Amino acid sequence: MKHSYITAALLIGLIAALVVGTELLGIRLYDRIVTNLLISLVLVIGLQTFMGNSGLLSFAHIGFMGFGAYTSAVLTIPAQMKGMALPDLYGFMTAVEVSPLLAMLVAGIVAAIVAAIVAYPLMRLSDAAAVITSFALLVVLYTVMNNWSAFTNGPRTLFGLPKTTTLPMAAIVAALVVVVALVFKESRTGKLLRASREDEVAAAALGADIPKLRWKAFVLAAFIAGVGGALWGHFITSFAPKSFYLKETFLVITMLVIGGANTVTGAVAGAILVTFAYEGLRSLEGTLNATAAGAGQVVGLTEIVLAIAMIAFMILRPGGLFPTREIGHILARMRRKKETSA
Amino acid sequence: MSETRLAVADVSVEFTGLRALDHVSLSVDTGEVVGLIGPNGSGKTTLVNAITGQVKLATGTITAAGVTLSGLSPRAIALQGVSRSFQIVRLFNAMTVLENVEAAALAKGAGRAAARERAEALLDEFGLASKADELGDSLSYGDKRRVEIARALAAEPKFLLLDEPAAGMNDAETETLLHTLAALPEKRGLGLLIIDHDMGLIMRLCHRLHVLASGRTIAQGTAAHVRAHPAVIEAYLGKGTAHA
Repeated sequence: MKHSYITAALLIGLIAALVVGTELLGIRLYDRIVTNLLISLVLVIGLQTFMGNSGLLSFAHIGFMGFGAYTSAVLTIPAQMKGMALPDLYGFMTAVEVSPLLAMLVAGIVAAIVAAIVAYPLMRLSDAAAVITSFALLVVLYTVMNNWSAFTNGPRTLFGLPKTTTLPMAAIVAALVVVVALVFKESRTGKLLRASREDEVAAAALGADIPKLRWKAFVLAAFIAGVGGALWGHFITSFAPKSFYLKETFLVITMLVIGGANTVTGAVAGAILVTFAYEGLRSLEGTLNATAAGAGQVVGLTEIVLAIAMIAFMILRPGGLFPTREIGHILARMRRKKETSA
Repeated sequence: MSETRLAVADVSVEFTGLRALDHVSLSVDTGEVVGLIGPNGSGKTTLVNAITGQVKLATGTITAAGVTLSGLSPRAIALQGVSRSFQIVRLFNAMTVLENVEAAALAKGAGRAAARERAEALLDEFGLASKADELGDSLSYGDKRRVEIARALAAEPKFLLLDEPAAGMNDAETETLLHTLAALPEKRGLGLLIIDHDMGLIMRLCHRLHVLASGRTIAQGTAAHVRAHPAVIEAYLGKGTAHA
């Protein structure tokens, strides 16, 4: 797929431009926002590999992000801090301390294994049943994190992760994930899964093993979510289970839906657009609160505007900004049309 | 049991009390074109659905090249070399025409390069090469039908079941389709079962016809035999229209 190379080059170029631009500006706030954006990008693309190709909405994604973040935390918090940060930790784990890069990989693998086990029986479900079960799965994952004190410190905030996620590091992971998602989309599994998204009956009549295809994509998505969780954990350095619940879930789904779930380009566009909108609205909210004279505090403006934006997109452009074709494909077609008309 | 035959033996299908197919037997040999005709609601599509595993059998067995299909899932039946098209076109709308056809080859286990090659060759053959990069739902109805047939062929089936392939096509398109379909059995070594309401197409294309009415076989044999059969004239063509 020649146009997939163009898409990869453009998306990675965009990521690089964001990083270089931010580094040149040298403003710490921007550095933080763009790093956050790139981590969101990883999570949204991860969700795209399942949701975009299978056509099934999954609410469980952020739960796997949480498992990744906690896995990486347990593996990297310095041994001398573990007594305080994770008082209930299993004895044999207290001495474990691996490099954050290795921990990030393990985080992805742990999330993938959990997904592989819990999702196997769910992949036969379609439509509303699949959405509702994925939501139930998120609740289960959240509850486990909230109560598994030995691993997560329970509902209390876990602190002490080494801050190893830098802007370039987030960019490299994001670029790798872009490539993985594009390769997966064009793979045999990706193509057949997309066929099942378009028409389950016809895909089954061709011989596609739909539950297995979905399962593979779900495991890949969980792996990416786990990596994204580790990346985020080493950026924020302290978090609680509630960080991996509804608010974050809504945010990644909004990003993907606005950008266009069927394409990796859409996932990238949605993450960038929504992050900028989010930060813009937050600072507007701050300004309003600082200047508003006696009108009371403005609260929740950001969330409401984003929710309305999501509704507006669903009505006006249900497929998102990039509903069917990747950016490389769009450009290749434009050039071909120009050539034939010239 | 013949190694080159699709055999439907004594098959019945029931939908909550309604008997859609009533002890129907039919066979299609490799190299043969069999037409399945009958008035609306006579059970033609149900028979195709029964063969491809979309509906369950109440009685009877179905075998393809000696392998029992009845009881298998649609997927397992497809992997046994039985491909189909649908009465209402079922393309993968948000995928390109090329991807639509590729998917069938991939599902049957072809490598990515081989699937691509096979799909491109089929699109050439069906005059769809210029549409390869278009999305499924942007095509005209006739083109959609052609893509669906090309897709079914990309699975390299032993038996191909086409449910109204000419529906929605104009005369010129139907004529081209007739020639393409007529060449298939010999060229690709497959058996073809075809449902259509276009009697001109059916009579010219098929070696044998099988006529259903209200879920029962009322006649079978050559076109001439079926056309002259009193039960067919009465139940299907209507009185006085046998030579129309």
